[in-house]
Amino acid sequence: MRMGLFSKAVMLLTALASAPSAFAQPKELLIGALLPLTGPAAPIGIEERNGVQFAVDEVNAAGGAAGVPVRVIFDDSQGKPDQAVLSFNRMLDLHSVPVIITAYSSISLAIAPLATRREVLVVNPAAQTNKLEKASPFLINTIPLVNAEARVLARYAVDKIGKKAAIIYENAAAGIDGATDFRKYFEAVGGQIIAEEPVEFGQTNYRATLLKIAAAKPDFVYIAITQSQAAMADQIGQVANFPVGIGNTFSSPFFGFKSTEGWYQTGIQSGQLEPAKVSSFKEKLKVEEMGFFAREYYNATKIILKAAEALIASGRPVTGAALRDKIQEIKTFSSPVATITFEDNNASRPVEILQYRGDKRVLLEAVNPTR
Amino acid sequence: MLYLQLFVDGVVSGCAIGLVSISFSYFYSVTGTFHVAHAGIYTLCGYVAWALVAAGAPFIAALMLAVLAGALSGYATQHVLYQRLADRQASPLVMMIASIGLLTVLQNIVAIVFSPNIVQFDMPWRVGHLDIAGVTLSHPQALIALVSIVIFVGLTVFSARTDLGKRIRAIASNAELAEITRLDPKRVFAYVLAISSAIVAVPAVLVGVDQAMQPYTSLIVLLTAVVAMIAGGIGSLPGAFGMSIVLAVIQSLSVALIPGRWSIAAVFGIFILFILLKPEGLFRRRFSRAL
Repeated sequence: MRMGLFSKAVMLLTALASAPSAFAQPKELLIGALLPLTGPAAPIGIEERNGVQFAVDEVNAAGGAAGVPVRVIFDDSQGKPDQAVLSFNRMLDLHSVPVIITAYSSISLAIAPLATRREVLVVNPAAQTNKLEKASPFLINTIPLVNAEARVLARYAVDKIGKKAAIIYENAAAGIDGATDFRKYFEAVGGQIIAEEPVEFGQTNYRATLLKIAAAKPDFVYIAITQSQAAMADQIGQVANFPVGIGNTFSSPFFGFKSTEGWYQTGIQSGQLEPAKVSSFKEKLKVEEMGFFAREYYNATKIILKAAEALIASGRPVTGAALRDKIQEIKTFSSPVATITFEDNNASRPVEILQYRGDKRVLLEAVNPTR
Repeated sequence: MLYLQLFVDGVVSGCAIGLVSISFSYFYSVTGTFHVAHAGIYTLCGYVAWALVAAGAPFIAALMLAVLAGALSGYATQHVLYQRLADRQASPLVMMIASIGLLTVLQNIVAIVFSPNIVQFDMPWRVGHLDIAGVTLSHPQALIALVSIVIFVGLTVFSARTDLGKRIRAIASNAELAEITRLDPKRVFAYVLAISSAIVAVPAVLVGVDQAMQPYTSLIVLLTAVVAMIAGGIGSLPGAFGMSIVLAVIQSLSVALIPGRWSIAAVFGIFILFILLKPEGLFRRRFSRAL
């Protein structure tokens, strides 16, 4: 009889102890995604949306995050910081999302102070301006910033390509940062910048800029643009004696042109998913490939969901602060896309030096940059 | 040699902008409507040709169909939008705001129906080039220069020599009198916008072939064309075409002397000077809209 009472008491206490977690479990986990779905940056924004949606669909198909269905709310930043601020407030006021996935440096920077004030986690999977490093304690970058790539590239360029460089950069946050960092690290290791030209975001006629740069006769030209690479490559083919080009992750579209044979770029290691998943992605979203941005946004979404799952499973509320702390507690996230380690809010990942040779991008070196 | 190449590139760009400028000027001179949506029709025509080529159509056929698409959309714009607003006594400001709205709609339709991406024509000949005395000219650039001059001369002759051209000039001079004398300005306005839109399809396609296209960047082309129209004297087709070339050459050559980021500012700086010092433009004696 005593044992029976004791058992009942234990059961009651257990039930009481577990009650808060049962009540704390949300009916639905909401994730915000603030992406440029219209405007000049829409091609990238749509690819990013596909990556996020695919990750959420995958988790829901497997029963949700610790049994909780996940829903993603997309909003269009139009690639403009002012629109992004409006969208950010709309997501919080109407939907109270604990986390927002974002795109583009200027937008992430615009919403960073709001994220701090409202304690919402902002996850940046692709923007690389250095200012993002300390923009907000609620901003997590899942990709290394421009300075990491620039440091590796500058050292390689001085050692293997030449000491006189020219720079062509996009007159926007990513391009300006790319140019500033490359100049800083290149000059620090003995290089000299002999010409520098900005181009505008979305520009398609580069002829005058290319002619001016070629006339300066540098050993190579560092190019930091995020759009219209194919148009620039075509026009480079018409400029006699244009120097070899080098660039960072965003230079990938330069690959595959006769005029860019032998060029160099750094790249963040970003692997492909399993073939079956890639096929499923292409079929579901009716696209020809799972590109860099789709992979990175897929991976970033999975990181968020893994942290959310851990919180839900332990009965803790999914808030911005809790998600951030859980990501830092888990620390290392491994997937076919990348192994990402968070020492703080910024991901640490290897940087590769690649060269365009025929129909291949040949890996020359892989370096783990130190901050 | 750098300066010569920049000069030639500027002349070619100026020819393309010149077609945008004369086509905008032609409609504006006749109707007084500040047709900002001209930039949207420019975009639409470029993407129509791109989609047709991607679907396997021969380039010439794609170009012709883009011209037809331009003409039809121009006619429809006048008939469905501007004429209805004019019938309700809409002010020029209201017409311009409606036009800006139409521009936004057209750009988004293009992005949704065709592609929001920066796209290029899949035609191997477009990356070929000519080397003439050390100056390089891509095949599309050569085509732009040639076709632009032919169209400019053609429009000038059409305006001066044909019955419809003369009728358009008469209406531009005095629309109320034209109404009384049964010249049917309403119908002619639609013809003029159809002609202007057909013309603007040509640089849209050829510049797209030469460089690349995206739905949201045609407004800067239109702004440069409008600057040329004002600097050349509103209503003067040779003025608009000539000033387009002058401005594009200045923009191109300025890159050699100043950082590229200032080249567009240089063009608009010239525009401000014109507005302050010679608002009637170089080739008109007084400020008016007449052809």
